[in-house]
Amino acid sequence: MTTHEDLWSALHDVPDPETGLDIVDLGLVYEATFQPDRATARIVATFTTPACPAGEVIADAIVRRLEQVPGVVTVDLEITFEPRWSPARISPAGRAHLGM
Amino acid sequence: MAAGLVARYAPPFRLVGAHFATGIAGLLVFAAALLASARGLEGHFFQARVLALTHLCVLGWLMPITLGALHQLVPVVFERPLLSTRLPYLGLACLVAGAAGMIWQFWHWGVYQESFVWYAGLAAAGLAIDVLHLSATIARSRRHGLTGANVLASFAWLLAAAILGVVLAWNLWHPFLAADHLQLLRVHAHAAALGFFGLLIMGVAYRLLEMFLLAYVDAWRPGWIALVATNAALGLLVASFLLGSRLFHLAAIGAGAVGIAAFLVQIRRMVRARARRALDQAFRHTQMSLLYLALAALTGAALVLVPMSAGVRDRLVLVYGVLALPGFIGSIVIGQLHKILPFLVWFHRFGPYVGLKKVPTAGELLPAPPQRLLLLLLHGAIALLVAGVLADAAPLRLAGSALFAAAALVLTYNLGVIATRRP
Repeated sequence: MTTHEDLWSALHDVPDPETGLDIVDLGLVYEATFQPDRATARIVATFTTPACPAGEVIADAIVRRLEQVPGVVTVDLEITFEPRWSPARISPAGRAHLGM
Repeated sequence: MAAGLVARYAPPFRLVGAHFATGIAGLLVFAAALLASARGLEGHFFQARVLALTHLCVLGWLMPITLGALHQLVPVVFERPLLSTRLPYLGLACLVAGAAGMIWQFWHWGVYQESFVWYAGLAAAGLAIDVLHLSATIARSRRHGLTGANVLASFAWLLAAAILGVVLAWNLWHPFLAADHLQLLRVHAHAAALGFFGLLIMGVAYRLLEMFLLAYVDAWRPGWIALVATNAALGLLVASFLLGSRLFHLAAIGAGAVGIAAFLVQIRRMVRARARRALDQAFRHTQMSLLYLALAALTGAALVLVPMSAGVRDRLVLVYGVLALPGFIGSIVIGQLHKILPFLVWFHRFGPYVGLKKVPTAGELLPAPPQRLLLLLLHGAIALLVAGVLADAAPLRLAGSALFAAAALVLTYNLGVIATRRP
């Protein structure tokens, strides 16, 4: 049975190309839920800036990685800039990685 | 699915790569020409080798790389695709052909010929194609802000510099201008160096610091002050050269000092607010570049404010040029190349594997040792060149030129390593 935690765990495998930090610790993922009736992973995520040059790669990687999670058939990815990302969203592990 | 992703606006890799490759070829030719003429790098700036080297540095090396970076950044930052992916090739071809002819004629002092005007016109046409094309791309965006204002202002100054360059070439062939040719040449140089490169670097730096250092601030007043003051300084500088007014010249220095100081304040705020604490080698070039900017500004002010002999003035003018061109602009171009090229290679070659297997970060595509070596060679070269010109010591200039040539080769190696990395 696929769980929300499976999705969050898989998303840790998607890195930001510049910092090397994964997108969960970077605070880019706002929501990750699994809808068992539709076998769909629903993700709400953002980028550090609307003009993020790595946005397309990160979005594609999210879909690609989640499609490998057992039980997930489709990925419903929404990119939002409300609220805007800020460094306050970086996890304690991420802060340690960045030397903050 | 994720709609509106800005990377979809990015141009083909080969378009940016063609500009970068052209610029690196220009850098290698510039380094060789510098080495060949280092012993004679003295005297007044209006001479064959100095003018040839200056145009080789700017049009051969710095401009193609800057235009390549602009063709990548403008669509991404302003979220609009380029109107055409063919026009930039036409612009580059015109620029290279025109610049090559101009530089050849500068080198052999054949500047009083009709062909020199045609070469200057061809180079200016190439620049105009890119400026108008990129401006039209930006005009279709609603995301302007401080970066957009800086970029558009820089384009206006580049256009002005290019047109004035053709006018000056024509004036050498058939003198027709009432104004002093050398004063107009100073306007041309400052419109290009401070107007185009200076304002562009300011505007783009704000976005690149956000992206690369995760440096976000809400207060942009120093950046706006820098934009207004730098434009005012340029306007006053043009007026001072044309009217021969010392008052305007002093006002230009004051406005320029305010502009540069405000820019440095904005950058300092961003760097202090960054989430990514460790600064990489590429950013060290940027730090050095800002130091050269401050030193060039002080040298420029000294040239106006401090009485000095003609010989000392000639040497200081050359130092001003070294600090401004390979120093300020060259360092930041090299630093940003070490950020932009790895990202492009990562994006196009490694991006498809993200999430499937472990991939290196963009910064890991090139080991640190050759980057550190480049840092030492480049800035050692500039220090020796400045010392050699100031002290009128040919051996120092030769040593500086040799280090610069070595730096150019290491840079070429570094970029080659990055460009050939594959998953």
